[in-house]
Amino acid sequence: MKLYSKFLLIILIAPIKVDAQTVIDITQGSEDPYRLAIIAKEGNQKQTQKVLSIVSQDLKRTGEFYIFDNKLLLSLPQTEEDIEYREWRLLNCDFILIADIQETVAGIQLSYEIFDVANKEKIRSSKVYGITDRFRQLGHYASDGVYETITGIPGIASTRIMYVTQTSDSKSKYQLFIADADGLNEQLLLRSSEPIISPVWSPDSSKVAYVSFETGVANVFIQEIATGKRFSVINKKCNDCRFNEQISSPAWSPDGKYLSLTLYQDGNAEIYIFNINKKLLTRMTNHYGIDTESKWSNNGRKLLFTSGRSGSPQLYEIDLRKLNKRPKRLTFEGNYNAKGSYLPDDSGIVFVHRATNKFQIAIKYFDDNFVIPLTESKMDESPSVAPNGNVIIYAITENNQDILAGVTLGGVKFRLPSASGQVREPAWSGFLN
Amino acid sequence: MHLTRSISILTILIIFIASCSSVQVTEESVRESSIATVEVSTDDTYSTSNLAMSVSATVYFDFDKFNLTSRSIQALRGVVSTMSENTELTIVIEGHADDRGTREYNLALGQRRAEAVADYLESNGINRTRLSIISYGEENPVDASSNEAAWSKNRRVEIK
Repeated sequence: MKLYSKFLLIILIAPIKVDAQTVIDITQGSEDPYRLAIIAKEGNQKQTQKVLSIVSQDLKRTGEFYIFDNKLLLSLPQTEEDIEYREWRLLNCDFILIADIQETVAGIQLSYEIFDVANKEKIRSSKVYGITDRFRQLGHYASDGVYETITGIPGIASTRIMYVTQTSDSKSKYQLFIADADGLNEQLLLRSSEPIISPVWSPDSSKVAYVSFETGVANVFIQEIATGKRFSVINKKCNDCRFNEQISSPAWSPDGKYLSLTLYQDGNAEIYIFNINKKLLTRMTNHYGIDTESKWSNNGRKLLFTSGRSGSPQLYEIDLRKLNKRPKRLTFEGNYNAKGSYLPDDSGIVFVHRATNKFQIAIKYFDDNFVIPLTESKMDESPSVAPNGNVIIYAITENNQDILAGVTLGGVKFRLPSASGQVREPAWSGFLN
Repeated sequence: MHLTRSISILTILIIFIASCSSVQVTEESVRESSIATVEVSTDDTYSTSNLAMSVSATVYFDFDKFNLTSRSIQALRGVVSTMSENTELTIVIEGHADDRGTREYNLALGQRRAEAVADYLESNGINRTRLSIISYGEENPVDASSNEAAWSKNRRVEIK
């Protein structure tokens, strides 16, 4: 055996902003999109146009909107009184958005109104307050408001995604990034020479937890996004922690007080609940099969996990309120069902499913007794559900290249092409607004 | 009759109110958050062991399995005899998986594979304190391609 010591160097560096590498590319849109006209009021038109172009891009990227080219419009109404609904019906336009920006001492303010052409009425009037010259997040907020008003589903343009990249550069081989939901505004959280896997957001999206191999063995860390402050969740007493000391698969409880984790101290993967403040561990599983990949239900009452106890990986759940916490098996179709998570309303689960030789992302509602595959490539992995429950982001492998892809429950499909490196392990944040 | 009439008046009134009343203005403020970057680098400094003797072996597994094959056991017999003769010798047992399936399940699978090797060595008289177990799951493949040949090379335990 080679004796070696690892010197661990941890430095906090200036935030690294990376130029846009990944931008959403819709591969299959809705067959019957909402048809929307977006109009900037005269006056501060240049600034308004900047924000509205973000709104327009966000809505197009949902795959559910058709945005009119303003050159084709018959008029550009400035107020409700200017709208000739008949003319908009002729254009087959469903909704009109009229917006403008006002600059104040405090910052910028976007005001917008949405009109429903079929019902000839105003359906939303909103003001969004932002910071001068920072249009992106302002646009995302407005887009989310428009999306929700028209579709009835909360928008997710203002949320964020996190993912891991791997490059051949040895020093910064593994990097953990955060980006806006459209893939832009990519920012580096962690850079390491050793693997990083299983990143997850805290419920308030201010912290992340992940597995890092930086000490030579898998270990779970919590890191504050704004400050970079980080710590290993369980401080080990030994100096050379190697013997079954690995810890992995973190998942936050909805109240943020607990982390479920996988520990290997008995020589096998078992699930524990860790009280973050009190540093207390409670064992949840006890079986010679592998138990890992735990996730909390959104009401905090149940724990979903992957278990190999039946001979192949299958999904099980534990009811945390019951004294006798016997795991209940949830999946019976297919020979591999793993890495599950609950839908935001706890009405079902999304997971990796293999029936024959393909690993696909699938969904199963608790009311149904069948599995619905959502994707059809060969090596789909690591699904993460957006906080509105309508979009799932996941990792695919194509020509030996790992990239991120997404699918909506309505059937819209998109990709996040990467300019460099392998991209994997996506995790969607909660709502930030 | 009278009742119906008043209901219809009420309905008209409601429709009238609904069409006249403007939509309530909703207001929100954009939250901008900052991000700090952390860099972690691990520098390996190898020191050649004082022990002249070392042992290395690799054993392979089937997909989603962690049981030892007869061929694996043959290789492990050699490890047992070297370790029995050199009682100071300690080893690291590294478990690995191929890239099919989920990363966390593969991490646990690699650990079980390493554990299976450790159990065999222990049952053949090697003290557990001489064995260190570690899993890399699917993170350190020998061959990164996606085909049966690569996968079978990657489902392994390395003894170092």
